Amino acid sequence: MTLVVVAVLCAVGLFFSLSAAVGILRMPDLYTRLQCSSKSITMGALPLLIGLVVAEGPITAYAGRALFVGLLIMLLGSATAHALSRAAYKVGVPMWSGSVTDEPRQPGSVTDEPRRQADS
Amino acid sequence: MKTLLQVVCIAELAIALLLLIRLARGPSVADRILALNTISAQCAIAVLFFAAFADRSSYADVALWMASFSYLAALIWARYLERGLL
Repeated sequence: MTLVVVAVLCAVGLFFSLSAAVGILRMPDLYTRLQCSSKSITMGALPLLIGLVVAEGPITAYAGRALFVGLLIMLLGSATAHALSRAAYKVGVPMWSGSVTDEPRQPGSVTDEPRRQADS
Repeated sequence: MKTLLQVVCIAELAIALLLLIRLARGPSVADRILALNTISAQCAIAVLFFAAFADRSSYADVALWMASFSYLAALIWARYLERGLL
């Protein structure tokens, strides 16, 4: 019974991790890649860690570390994605040519800092 | 159960290898930071599963260290990208 639960959780986690990797490889643009990365890493890492907790039992050395790693991923993953997208936008990483809107560039927007040239 | 832990560990490493392609050819620096951050998260989970597979609880601390410092490194890279070294 435990094995079935762990196998299902690990399958879900591996599927989402793989889809995150494929999205990071195939998406056309830094911002869409960031969106793939942050969402699917959270969704892919948490079922794996919960599966480890179920496999090892809740009061073991692995379960405590796994839960703490999950907490770190939930807290810091979104903060990192936000900081990285903000920095990339300010530096001037180009958007995909099929993007329909560039919200901070609209007239009357709060951010009016000029974008620098891309230095890639 | 041990086999399942081993399979998850190897699959996570394969996903990290897949992400190395984006790290090698990402057109901008931010792409490379993103790929490196994702690779370190996957590697932390792989190390955690390897610790449970090999029954060595000291490796779980390595996984904890890797997870926390990879996100710290990505935050510092983003700050460097935004406003220079200091």
